[in-house]
Amino acid sequence: MTLPAALRRDDRVAQAAKAKHRKRLSYAFYLLCVLIAMLSVVVLVVLLLSISVQGSSRLSTDLLTQSHSELRPAEAGMWPAIIGTLFICGVCALTALPLGIGTAVFLEEFKPRRSELRLLRKWIRLPSQTWNGIANGLFRALRWFHGFIQLNISNLAGVPSIVYGLLGLSLFVYMFNVFGQIKVNEADGWELFGVQHYYQVLSLERGQVVLIPMEEGDPPTKKITQPLAGVTTAGQPIEIQVWQPGTPKPTGAVERRQTVRKGATGGRYSRHAWYYFRLPFGRSFLAAGLTLSLVILPLVIISTQEALRAVPPSMREASLGLGATTWQTTREVCLPAAVPGIMTGSILSMGRAIGEAAPLLVILGAAIAKNSGPKHLMDDAVTMPVLIYNWAGRQQEVYQELAAAAIIVLLVVLLIMNSLAIYLRQRLRQK
Amino acid sequence: MVPTMDSASQQSASSPGPASRGETAAAAEGAEMPSTPCVEIADFNAWYGDFQAIHQLSLNIPNNKVTAFIGPSGCGKSTLLKWINRMNDVIPSARAQGHMVLKAISANSEFASPARATETDILAADTDVVSLRRRIGIVFQKPNPFPKSIYQNVAFGPHLHLNASRREMDELVEWALRKAALWDEVKDRLQQSALGLSGGQQQRLCIARAIAIGPEILLMDEPCSALDPASTSRIEDLIYELGKQYTIVIVTHNMQQASRVSDLTAFFYQGRLVESGATEQIFTKPKEKQTEDYVTGKFG
Repeated sequence: MTLPAALRRDDRVAQAAKAKHRKRLSYAFYLLCVLIAMLSVVVLVVLLLSISVQGSSRLSTDLLTQSHSELRPAEAGMWPAIIGTLFICGVCALTALPLGIGTAVFLEEFKPRRSELRLLRKWIRLPSQTWNGIANGLFRALRWFHGFIQLNISNLAGVPSIVYGLLGLSLFVYMFNVFGQIKVNEADGWELFGVQHYYQVLSLERGQVVLIPMEEGDPPTKKITQPLAGVTTAGQPIEIQVWQPGTPKPTGAVERRQTVRKGATGGRYSRHAWYYFRLPFGRSFLAAGLTLSLVILPLVIISTQEALRAVPPSMREASLGLGATTWQTTREVCLPAAVPGIMTGSILSMGRAIGEAAPLLVILGAAIAKNSGPKHLMDDAVTMPVLIYNWAGRQQEVYQELAAAAIIVLLVVLLIMNSLAIYLRQRLRQK
Repeated sequence: MVPTMDSASQQSASSPGPASRGETAAAAEGAEMPSTPCVEIADFNAWYGDFQAIHQLSLNIPNNKVTAFIGPSGCGKSTLLKWINRMNDVIPSARAQGHMVLKAISANSEFASPARATETDILAADTDVVSLRRRIGIVFQKPNPFPKSIYQNVAFGPHLHLNASRREMDELVEWALRKAALWDEVKDRLQQSALGLSGGQQQRLCIARAIAIGPEILLMDEPCSALDPASTSRIEDLIYELGKQYTIVIVTHNMQQASRVSDLTAFFYQGRLVESGATEQIFTKPKEKQTEDYVTGKFG
């Protein structure tokens, strides 16, 4: 048998040229790949450089300890924003992690099984053939339901966060107005506990007020015509005196502080304990945290599922073979083995939550005047991304620098969290 | 070959090697299948989805004997093994029909267990799988110790089922490790990770883990197929020793192994039981042509 023509032909020169061409092409493609990879790195480096050049002059302890100031921007800082972000992410972690890990455990460890359907057989007396048909149908339906949840979660991961913001607005802020509408300076919804309302009346001493406890159902304002019981701002009970204009004013500072002008009107003033709770949540950091937990829930679920899938099936078999229940297997074998992956996923999800601005703008608005962290559960909060958004949108040079400095702080926080995730993963893998 | 012994008493005192097991069993009982079953299987069918893996199978697994399942890949022997303690429940599409009963015969009755000495319908819908698996332990093909310490591995099962004090647990762990002929090798490093052990040691640890909950039956799914010859021979010795106290069912591809360790052998082919009987008889005087072809290496 003769060799095929292509193998017989003696064209070494042409073949060598072809080989050379192939090598060149390969090298060219390698260069192209390097270029593309460099491009993304260069963009990042330029961004970081420009931000650090712009913001480095504003990196000071003031930035970390002071609050936003309209009048003296040179001394402005982001302390309330740091605390606000911390609180919101705390709420987010406390809700999203248990829910997400629980859902992932359900989806991965509690898949529908025919053997569980067999339990129904005890109550359903049917001929074997009919039963088999029904069991098959039920099993398929359960599996379909499982797949349906899975599909939904995968899709939810791709929903823009502003959409979650709108969902959070109607779900947590307004609660579909089921508990009444939220109005400014009026009783909001159902105030369940942790709040005391007062009428606040100016006293004769400049800058001092007296408080009169307000009862349920009282009108929003009250006109003072006769002496009555009240408290000082410090909470000390006093007898409020009434001064008739035209008569001599009391002379002592203490007396003046306890006296109001006849006919003075008191407006509503509320004092909240830290555990103040009302429905709906209104524009509170609690609502913001819950909304963010919706944003990261799919990420937590998916990363936890990945971690559980990486646990070798032989571990599950070993545990089940020793007579462990599904839950015991999950708790003693699967979850411990998946902890590094779950922690990494959770920390990365939290990083996403920290940097998220759009849903927070919807829930809390763009106001940044607040000069402290949240004082009670229903208090609003400033967050780092919203502060950066506000500062970066201003004309003055100093705010531009402040925004850049705040971005550096935010990036450092994210960097610390990501490094923590990597460190924990390595540490737990070695164990 | 094991050196020939002069008398029967000497033989039992010096505990003969596995090689002579099949012969002694055959000599003692002749070529008959013993009549006291531990697990009774009749008209058993099993499916994976629409594929029928086992057809109309009937077999009695005798008490306190080593039974070997042999046959080419895909013949249904592992499927049957895993149905005996319902390990197939974890496979979503697996289902089975027929008669499979765990009898109330219990030779090693010094073990106390709530479910022991009661007859259990293994395939029944309301069978408590957890207590069933406590009575029927399983050892898998690949050693699969938990990524925990050696001690925790053995204590895992007892921790699930028993109320043991710390001292009782120490005693139990030592007992199980001694039974599995592993104690001397690991007694100084009980708190170290089980993953640091060699493959053979890991498999013996898995056996210790399985017997630590006091099962009546031990199922072994090709326990030596992932091990080197030296480890294999140690495990075979162990199976031989354990066979005196436990009912053991072993699936194997290795026919020499089956002949070395088992008292009885069942040959499967394409989801059907072709022949079962005393190991000696199956390997020397098989009744069926298919069995003969398989044990002589003509196919499979």
